[in-house]
Order: sequence, then C-alpha cells, then structure tokens
Amino acid sequence: MSLMKIFLVEDNELYAKAIKHHLSLNPDNQVEHFLNGKSCLEKLYLQPGCILLDYSLPGISGIDVLKKIKSSQPDLPVIIVSGQEDVATAIDLLKEGAYDYIVKDQNSKERIWKAINNLRENAKLRNELDRLREEVNLKYDFSNIKGSSVEIKKVFKLIEKATRTNITVSIAGETGTGKELVAKAIHYNSKNKKQALVTVNIAAIPKDLLESELFGHEKGAFTGALSKRIGKFEEANGGTLFLDEIAEMDLNLQAKLLRILQERVVTRIGSNKEIKVETRIIVATHQNLKELVSKGDFREDLYYRLLGLPIELPPLRNRESDIILLAKFFLSTFIQENNMEELRISDLAQKKLSSYRWPGNVRELKAVIELGAVLAEDGLIAEKDLNFNTIGDELDNLVGKGLTLKDYDRKLINYYLKNNNNNVVEVAKLLDIGKSTLYRMLKNNELTVN
Amino acid sequence: MTDNVYDLIQLDELSGGDQEFISMMVDTFLEHTPGQLEELIKAQAGNDMATFGAIAHKIKPNIDMFGIKTIIADIRDLEQLGREGQNNEELKSKLENVKAELMIAFEQLRQR
Repeated sequence: MSLMKIFLVEDNELYAKAIKHHLSLNPDNQVEHFLNGKSCLEKLYLQPGCILLDYSLPGISGIDVLKKIKSSQPDLPVIIVSGQEDVATAIDLLKEGAYDYIVKDQNSKERIWKAINNLRENAKLRNELDRLREEVNLKYDFSNIKGSSVEIKKVFKLIEKATRTNITVSIAGETGTGKELVAKAIHYNSKNKKQALVTVNIAAIPKDLLESELFGHEKGAFTGALSKRIGKFEEANGGTLFLDEIAEMDLNLQAKLLRILQERVVTRIGSNKEIKVETRIIVATHQNLKELVSKGDFREDLYYRLLGLPIELPPLRNRESDIILLAKFFLSTFIQENNMEELRISDLAQKKLSSYRWPGNVRELKAVIELGAVLAEDGLIAEKDLNFNTIGDELDNLVGKGLTLKDYDRKLINYYLKNNNNNVVEVAKLLDIGKSTLYRMLKNNELTVN
Repeated sequence: MTDNVYDLIQLDELSGGDQEFISMMVDTFLEHTPGQLEELIKAQAGNDMATFGAIAHKIKPNIDMFGIKTIIADIRDLEQLGREGQNNEELKSKLENVKAELMIAFEQLRQR
C-alpha cells in the first residue's frame, strides 16, 4: 500500500473526528482536518492525494472551494460529503469535476473508505502505467539500436529526422535487420509517443480477413461478424500504424488503402459512415517494392504515397564492424535476463562470428549468441558453442570473408564430407582429388570428421 | 441504561469498543452541540430561518451519530422547514421536542 495524504474539510468537529478516526484505521491514510475551505486552499501546496469536502461550509461554500481546487489542480480528486440528499446538487458538483458525492448517513463512513481505496488503486495503476510508458520509451530509445558502423549511423540520422514530423516512413531491409525495432524507435521518440503504436503483419493475416482487420466492421456486415469491431486504423488514431510486409497486400486492398491515405477517413465494412483518422503510417518490407511496381504486383500510386521517408536497413554482413559489438550486447542482455555468471566470447569464436555471412541478420546473431551462452562452459563461449543453422547453401558463407585458398579448400572439403557421411572415397571422386590428399589432411587435423 | 435517550452503538462500532475514543467523542458532542442548540433557538426567535435551517443541518449528523432516535426525523423536518422559511406551529412544536430530548441527552451523557 502507499501513503495517501487526505485533506478533510468539515466544520462539524464531531463528524470530522469520526471520519478521521475511521480513515486512520488504515495507517497509510494521513488525514489532515480543516474547519473551512480557506484554510484548506492555503495548504494545497502540500499536495494531498485527495480532498474530502463538506458541501455546506462557513465562508467560501463547498462548490466554490471545489472550483478553486479544480482551477489550480484539475487532477486532484475531490469527494464531496454532504448532508443534502439532493440529486440536482450532486449532478452539478460532479459536472464541476467532483470525483464522488457521498451523503452523510449511517453508511457514509464505509462509502468514504471505499472511495479512498478506489482512488489509491487508481493512483497505483496510473503510476504503473507511467512506469511502463517510461520503460517502453527507454526500451525503444535510439540507444537500443546498437552499432557504430557508418551504415547504421546513416540509419540513426534518418530515424531522428523521422521523429520530427509525422511523415510516412517506408523501411526496407532483409529479414532480421530490425525493421520493427526502427518503427518502434520512430514512434516512441515522436510527439505521438503517448498514443498507440499498432502493428499489423500483412503476411500473417489471411487475405479475406485483412480488410476487416484494418478497417473494422459493423455487426452483421458479413457471415461471422457477430459484433461491431473497430479496425487497426481507428485503433491507431492519433498514434502510429505499422504495416509490416506491406508488399504482401493484394491489389484490391491496396486501392482501398490508397483512398484512406488520400482522404484520411476509414469506413467500416457494412457501414456508410466515414470516420476521420489521424494516423501516422510506417510500412516495411523485405522485398523490392519498385521491382514489384514494374511487375504490376504493387500499385505505383500507392508506392509513391507510401515511400515518404525511405529508410534502408543494411544487412549485417555489410556492417561487419558491428557484429562483435552486437554479439556482446546480446550476450550481456541474456546474462542479465537469466541471472547468469559473466561470460566471455573467445577470440576464435569472435573470428567465427565475424567471418559468417549472417543471412538471418541481427535476429540470427541474437539466436546464435543466446544458444552459445547456454552451451558455454568455464565462463567462455568457444568456437564450438556457435552453431549456425543456415537455411540454404552453406557455401554462401565462404564468399568475401578474406579467407586464404587453403581455408577455402578445407571448408569445401569439410562441407562435402559432412554431406556424404564422411565417405572419403566418395568425396575424393566428387571433388576430383586424390584420396591420399584427403587422408593426409585428416591425419594433420586439417579436416573435421564427426 | 435502557432509559437513555441516546445510543452509542455507532460510535462503538466505529471505534471497535475503544472507550477512550468514545469518551473523546462524547466530550466533543457536549462541547459543541449545546451551543448549536442555543443558536438554533435564537435563530427561530429572531425569525432568521436561513440560519435556522443551516444550524439544523449541522446538528443533524450529531443526533444521528449519538443515536437519539426520537428526534432523528424531527431534526430533518426542522432543517426542511427552516429552508422553506416556515416559522410555524409545527416547527415550534418540533423544536421544543428536539430541545427537550437534547437536554436529556446532555445530562445523561454528562453522567455516564
């Protein structure tokens, strides 16, 4: 429980003592009694958590005290306690911003107790919300996008520019490069950061459901529309709508999206009513939209409408200097999250990380490091703890990594051995080299046979 | 005990039987209510019915809290009649009743 300072403004000393005694049963309630409104107003700087205000006060009336409180501290909850059971008065006071209206009767003490507890609970929730908002802001601070390479610094500059206005942003980049992280960094550093960021992965929603998901529907608009539902555009009103994998949207829906972007209004399925939406749009794709336009798979007019500020995220292989930095960051985060002992990445393991091609980009690096941390022994992530599960041709990773010809030979032979059950005769035949060469390399531990 | 015009059950419940608190409340009641009763009588005599209604309003929770059941309805009527400015026989009669019961309550509470 948290301490709450309660101002009790009541000219009936008997009633005030009874209420003060009752509320003080909770040691977290700190009650200060005032006999009139003036003395209470003079002490508002002490920042009470709530005010219990008698309606019939000598001097300044209860309603005038309420107005003065509301004009200086509009968020301060004021509970009116009155001997008058007058509905019209109660409504007037609630309209003036009173939090509650409690009639002085046999049950008033319990009602005041309940109202104070509700206020305390609300304050707790508000604090929790503020803390979470702060946490989200920190989480998607620019500093969370790691890197010091020239390529990523260019991205930082563009993100910063994107936060200054509500320009549409289009993010392009291979899978795993952090497109969603960039969208979040833009939203949580923009002036709309307190509003919602709504993410829709176009590729993850069946085509026939996407329209309703984006624009909403009225009850009975189609079979299965059992109740009214607001769409993502409305949900993100005032905030940001992040449309991931935008290239997956079909042409029919693209036309509807274009209209919304032009008119800034949405119409729910089954309704004629246009709803105004002020939503910032961020789109992302791993595909080349321009190419899709030339093939006729993406509308040219929509392409130009969405292009806005384009941000191209570099693949990890093009930010080689960031690989170790990111690896260490992911490792320290993982250690912290799992209360693990400190771990180091061995020099050979670092070399292995730097020489890999990273087709899955930053996402893959994170997964490799986390697995490495789990497999590590004696406080060290060794080369053997790093496992790459590349989908596709492993030999892709040999290109452009500054290896010697001997290294290439070794890696190529290892690859063939692995894929041919370590059958030396077969591999020698396939690579058109002598069996004795392979045996010699094996003897010299130049090859790996599992 | 059964002859008392007051009933301290509300205060007893509120304090969980804390006699010190109940005594403090009785003292406060005896400190303020006789003066309020005097002001009420004075306002009626001076035909200041707005003040009369306001004072009746202030005495009302005290009567409730001390469980003086015989005048719980009367004090509400007095408040209403005062607000309506009706200084009539009905008001006078109810005022007499309230005064008499309160005087008994004061005496009984002083002797408890």
